[in-house]
Amino acid sequence: MDVEALEQAALAAVAAASSTDAIEAVRVEYLGRKSELKLALREVRDRETGITLNAARERIEGAVGAREAELERAELDRRLAEESVDVTLPVGGHERGHLHLITQIRREVEDVFLGLGYRVVDGREVETTRYNFDGLNFPPGHPARSPLATLFLDEDTLLRTETSPSQVRTMEAQQPPVYIVSLGRVYRRDTPDATHTPVFHQVEGLAVDEGITLGDLTGTLDFLLKALFGAERRTEFRTHYFPFTEPSIEAYVSCHVCDGAGCAVCRHSGWIEVGGAGMVDPKLYEFVGYDSERYSGFAFGWGLERIAMLRHEFPDLRELWRNDLRFARQF
Amino acid sequence: MKVPVTWLREYVETAASAHELARRLSISATEVERVIDAGVPDVDGNLGHFVVGRVLAAEAHPNADRLQLCQVDVGNPDPQQIVCGAWNFGVGATVAVGLPGARLPGFPGPLEERLLRGEVSRGMILAEDEVGLGPDHSGIMLLSDGLEPGTPLGDVLPLVDQVLDVTPTMNRPDLLSMVGIAREAAALCDGGLRLPDPEEPSATGAEPVEVAVEDFGGCPRYIGRGFRNVRVGPSPQWLRARLHLAGMRSISNVVDVTNYVMHVWGSPLHAFDRSKLAGGRIVVRRARPGETLRTLDGTVRELVPGDLLITDGERAVALAAIMGGLDSEVSEQTTEVLLEAANFEPIGILRTSERLSLRTEGSNRWEKGVDPYAAAPAAALASRMLVDLAGAEPAGSVDVNDGLPKRPVVTLRPERASALIGLDVPADEQRAILERLDFVVDDGWRVTVPTFRARDVTREIDVVEEVARVVLDRVPLTMPLRRAVAGHLTPEQLFRRSLEDVLVGAGFSEAYTWSLTPSDPDPSALRLPDPMSGEHAVLRTTLRHGLVEAARVNVDAGNEPIRLFELARVYLPSGEQLPRERWRLGGITEGGFAAARGAVEAIYEASHLPLDVRRITLGHLHPGKAAETDAGWLGELHPTLLEGAWGVFELDVADLMAPLPERILYEDVITFPAVRQDVAVAVDEEVEAGAIVAVVHEAGGAELREARVFDVYHGEQVGEGRKSVALHLVFQAPDRTLTDEEAAAVRDRIVAALAERFGAELRA
Repeated sequence: MDVEALEQAALAAVAAASSTDAIEAVRVEYLGRKSELKLALREVRDRETGITLNAARERIEGAVGAREAELERAELDRRLAEESVDVTLPVGGHERGHLHLITQIRREVEDVFLGLGYRVVDGREVETTRYNFDGLNFPPGHPARSPLATLFLDEDTLLRTETSPSQVRTMEAQQPPVYIVSLGRVYRRDTPDATHTPVFHQVEGLAVDEGITLGDLTGTLDFLLKALFGAERRTEFRTHYFPFTEPSIEAYVSCHVCDGAGCAVCRHSGWIEVGGAGMVDPKLYEFVGYDSERYSGFAFGWGLERIAMLRHEFPDLRELWRNDLRFARQF
Repeated sequence: MKVPVTWLREYVETAASAHELARRLSISATEVERVIDAGVPDVDGNLGHFVVGRVLAAEAHPNADRLQLCQVDVGNPDPQQIVCGAWNFGVGATVAVGLPGARLPGFPGPLEERLLRGEVSRGMILAEDEVGLGPDHSGIMLLSDGLEPGTPLGDVLPLVDQVLDVTPTMNRPDLLSMVGIAREAAALCDGGLRLPDPEEPSATGAEPVEVAVEDFGGCPRYIGRGFRNVRVGPSPQWLRARLHLAGMRSISNVVDVTNYVMHVWGSPLHAFDRSKLAGGRIVVRRARPGETLRTLDGTVRELVPGDLLITDGERAVALAAIMGGLDSEVSEQTTEVLLEAANFEPIGILRTSERLSLRTEGSNRWEKGVDPYAAAPAAALASRMLVDLAGAEPAGSVDVNDGLPKRPVVTLRPERASALIGLDVPADEQRAILERLDFVVDDGWRVTVPTFRARDVTREIDVVEEVARVVLDRVPLTMPLRRAVAGHLTPEQLFRRSLEDVLVGAGFSEAYTWSLTPSDPDPSALRLPDPMSGEHAVLRTTLRHGLVEAARVNVDAGNEPIRLFELARVYLPSGEQLPRERWRLGGITEGGFAAARGAVEAIYEASHLPLDVRRITLGHLHPGKAAETDAGWLGELHPTLLEGAWGVFELDVADLMAPLPERILYEDVITFPAVRQDVAVAVDEEVEAGAIVAVVHEAGGAELREARVFDVYHGEQVGEGRKSVALHLVFQAPDRTLTDEEAAAVRDRIVAALAERFGAELRA
């Protein structure tokens, strides 16, 4: 047989094969058990011919293999091209729900303080006047003690008007150092409107230790405000009054909408009032049996709804309690 | 309180602008809500267009009945012709004139020389409302006769002003006064303080003013002053303007003086028509049962014992500290006045004013506590003004008191102040700060508190605050220096977060619903004795009501899919003062029982807890689709509560958490392969899957790793009243590969047990 001619014919057939089926047919014809080449190899008697035939077989096998890989790849490419889908078409099927906006802010605040080494204390919502007023140095006759301002269950029992009773309970239960935040529902006799609901949420913070200063308070609040409203904000602290702190301050943050230039959100002042704070009044230490000469501390109590409203600019607080999914899904 | 800045500058000399004052005050003294621009615009020399004028001639306009043609001397050689529509003046009157070019508040452009009915009018004779000095437009402003024509009007009237709107905290009633704000402004802006110190008019008569105080606890001081030949009339323009800017209405010179002086000294005063007081005497006492008083607003007030009254010895003439009586009101006919400059204690005033729903400028101050010392300078200033403005003749005075309170003395350690503030404030600076605020500091750092701060500053820490507030904007931002930290959530707090996340992952959105509901299924639920409304009357013992209402809101809004949960507290009556507050996880979802069950399965699975569900009956649930677990209930909401098929559940978080293992122990499920087999058995319709699985586990023993129902089939092959239950079984041992024989033995045990317990027939 003419090996050279056979090889030429085989290579030509390989080159002509245009599908994996065709190349398989080429393989069978030139390399199959009954192919002229295989038959010739079986018959071979001399070494010289064997080497020639095997060399031709290897070349044909190489060519068939390479062409086969090429064709397979081309066919795969063709199939994949046909499988193209509209990637812009949504499929759904894994709809997640949404945490309530206040829960999201609550977790944010908790995480800020967990990072600073504070514990989170749950507190309780139905309280005694002892913890809600007496222990917090509310004088007799203070307007908050009036049933016009507060929801009472009986003369000595009420729905807490701020998260601060958890301060007193925590201090009663342990000696300093105390570093806690307490977040939850508080209650006031406010007729619901766009900026008031009779139930709302506060975050209470308390740090009592040796050497705590007013600067530690403003520094901590500055850290929190920047975490909530953006690292580029400025903070300012102004004198204020609360029965349970002395000195007392009110925290302001530069407006995140206009950055201080003046807009409707900050009522053209450039500053937004966020909430009250102060150094724990020595009367509270007296109440819980701490040594006010040895320890000092700070506390603050802010409304979470106010933070939510300021940050997200929705106009009506009552939406937070209506639970309309069209509202919830935005956050 | 409104603080007109031109008025403030009478008491404090400082170069600080109104906005600088506002800023210093708001950081260190009192909230300043805003700075209001009042009066005429102070731009482009506008003030130069306003002058004092004298009317030289005034005659009827030849072409218009209702206009006057005036010649007005405005300081120029030639008089100015001005057409005017007012008639409350005549030749010789001293008036306020706006010249051509003047811009008035609320007018679009400047005044122009123009023809009015054929006569040229060069300017305008001004009424108070046209320059923002009052509400009156019934006539033009009449100025004092001594003023030179051509005098800049701004020298005579607060033509341009800025008003600070301040809201002092309740511990600072001293800042509800011009004097109080002036003291702070002087201290904070390093200004000179000039408090009003008028020459006391000498009494022409020495007739006694009889005052008896029966209750010094309620009225520690009562200064009464008598005046004769009082001429009640309108107030001069400057006084009307100041009251207007301070937010008060001008009534008559006598009443205006009391309001003006209250604004100056923060100590409210009252003027009685002395001729209406029986015997002209004053007795301060508590009300008697059944007593009534008709107050200035015309309302008859029913009084109760405890209300503090001013009486004339026979009957009530004023509700002390709150409002005067109508009968003894100063009127145009009044010629004899009794001026009250008293002091009232806060306790009880709030009670009376709340009961009567009657709050006044006076009661607002008294209920916070007013300095009893302020009554004297207030009486002096008011007396001077009554003499000057109403021609009153002083006729006797009395000051009844039980001894005025001593000024508190507190020892300050300046190093303690620096340590608490976190800023090294040198002792000398602390002393200077305190002295500027009228505290007296001796060499031993004993600090004597001024009378007007005596209620508020009684301890060292209160003095520290005085220093702190002045240096507040210099306090460095630091963090506590910690010796110990313990920042972590408790296991329950972490568990609550994970529950929220599981449900959010399952497509539920979180709802917040009211803790107070209209009613509660538990008849012993705590009820507010005086709720805000019937909608918020009972402390809930279940989250269900709120969630159903939240679902209803979303149905009405057309939202879908509706899946809501709430993780919040319920309040269970405990028999003690405080209820047991329990965290509950509740949910409501479309899709009926199956959807509720799916959510509960997800919760248990995520918590690594076995779910054991038992059929129960609950009034609010579908009678055939109600179940309980060890931690709560689930089911399909009874259709009478909300239309449609709604899955609902509520689990107690602590109960749910109780069986949680502290840690999860590894079981070897990898080394030796499991044998998986499916079996199907036919049982009676009423046999529940849960019971079948329980028996399977019991019979399967240790080698049965998992048994799960994956299909329930009803059909002819199974027979009437029967069903086929298909179970997926997994056999596995931790220490060896189970042989087929071993697996078959377990399977046979299971089938036998099912046959024995439920008459189950093996189908496959």
